[in-house]
Amino acid sequence: MRVEVSGLSKSFGPVRAVSDLGFTVEPASITGFLGPNGAGKTTTLRMLLGLVRPDSGSATFDGVPYAALPRPLRTVGAVLETAFHPARTGRDHLRVYCRAAGLPVSRADEVLAQVGLADAGRRRAGGYSLGMRQRLALATALLGDPAVLVLDEPANGLDPEGIQWLRGFLRHLAHDQGRTVLVSSHLLSEVEQTVDRVVIVGGGRLVREGSMEDLRSGAEGAGSVLVRSPDAARLAELLRADGALVDLDGEGLTVTGLTTAEIGGRAFAAGVELHELRSRSSGLEEIYFQLTAGREQYAATAPAEETAR
Amino acid sequence: MMPLVRAEWAKLFSTRVWIGLLLGACLMVIGFAVLLTAFAGNPESGIPAVGTPLYEELAMANAVNVNVLFLILGIIGMTQEYRHRTATPTFLTTPHRGRVVTAKLMAYALAATLFALVVMAVNFATVAVHAGARGAAPELDADNLGTLGSSGLALVIYAVFGVGLGALLRNQVGAIVGGLVYLFVIEPIIRQIPATSGAYKWMPGGALEALTATFQGPELLEPWQGGVLLLGYGLVAAVLGTFLAVRRDVA
Repeated sequence: MRVEVSGLSKSFGPVRAVSDLGFTVEPASITGFLGPNGAGKTTTLRMLLGLVRPDSGSATFDGVPYAALPRPLRTVGAVLETAFHPARTGRDHLRVYCRAAGLPVSRADEVLAQVGLADAGRRRAGGYSLGMRQRLALATALLGDPAVLVLDEPANGLDPEGIQWLRGFLRHLAHDQGRTVLVSSHLLSEVEQTVDRVVIVGGGRLVREGSMEDLRSGAEGAGSVLVRSPDAARLAELLRADGALVDLDGEGLTVTGLTTAEIGGRAFAAGVELHELRSRSSGLEEIYFQLTAGREQYAATAPAEETAR
Repeated sequence: MMPLVRAEWAKLFSTRVWIGLLLGACLMVIGFAVLLTAFAGNPESGIPAVGTPLYEELAMANAVNVNVLFLILGIIGMTQEYRHRTATPTFLTTPHRGRVVTAKLMAYALAATLFALVVMAVNFATVAVHAGARGAAPELDADNLGTLGSSGLALVIYAVFGVGLGALLRNQVGAIVGGLVYLFVIEPIIRQIPATSGAYKWMPGGALEALTATFQGPELLEPWQGGVLLLGYGLVAAVLGTFLAVRRDVA
């Protein structure tokens, strides 16, 4: 099932949260919906699901708006909220929505097992950790065995093991079972190993839509490489002659514009001794910052990052 | 609609709020019944003696004194969705929010009917035992049953009214405090002031009094008119709430 968003706009008073936003989410793949905090991600997802009324534009599932889906829970599962009635057990929470959606109540126990909450299901949700609440929210989304899953920051509150589990689980749902998965995050690094496609928003507008491969190839050369050499000054001169951006600090160099292999090759050819040569970042994060915050702001934050190290 | 009503019951009976409210209502009604019977026939209290038709009417209508707990039952039923942020999964499951409000009205009317039957039974048993000990237990004749029934009906209508009020206000504490202030401060004032007491019979409190009239008071509607008016207030609040408040963005 394909999700299509087009021309979506929403203002809250004088604040324009989302402006003329359009993108598509393809089946059998995981799409990362990325942007810094306040970029309009949650508002967009809530408009997609009929909880917030857009000022203009549309969001559809195979051409049908959420509110017009005959059986919404069996079509779309959503993780938006990790709040539950504190006095109700996780299992009873799920059974309530089984009843409302006309699903057999036995689904509650099935999805609890699926997300690893089988033992905690009969405890009150008020005593759950944030990670357990994320899992219960995911269980609620899975109740109707939906073709589309929409998840808003699902990794929040999960421990590293939980994040690892979530990644594998989402891949299984999308790649093995052919579901459409849209997952939002404010960190590219959190989802870069999981997602196939990205939709990047900034200030409520679309700034980039495409495959992860495209983003990676665009990021090549944008990353920086850390080099240490007793002959740093000479190496810096050599690399600058090749058009690289070089920052010299005693024995250390920070090089942008050349890969580790290229730098190693130059040093070997010139007979310069190297003590360290490693890439500091893939460049993806830099590209992401540039896309979402703009170049000027990026230039201003880079030196601050330097001194922090 | 039936699956949604059952879902609302599942919500109600999967927390302990209903136990507290029902127990509270039973204890309150026992307390009022004992007080009423203890002071019956006491010239200073003005309550007629045990065994008189007027005493029995008062005793049978006693259950209506716990109407505030039924109002709170309805208010909590609606506003818990906002208080605990379960409005999101609820409206994701049922995007037509008017259906959710309708299901709640039906579910709480039915649940309140069960609770009201319990409260009425407790009231009758208390009165029967206590008044019996003082010489004349009331019988379940047509008159007494009618009064008992109308007091129970008032409780059910108050629960429906609570759902409507909750839909309109969305804020749980605000709706409960607002409801109490209205019932116990504003309406008694309106009832007392001669300039406004004429309007009292058209208000929820006046409608309730008409439905369960026992004391001689200001001019009131017929009992059935009072019941219809009270129910009308609840439904109008629910409809207004659906269009003005419940349909608003859930952010």
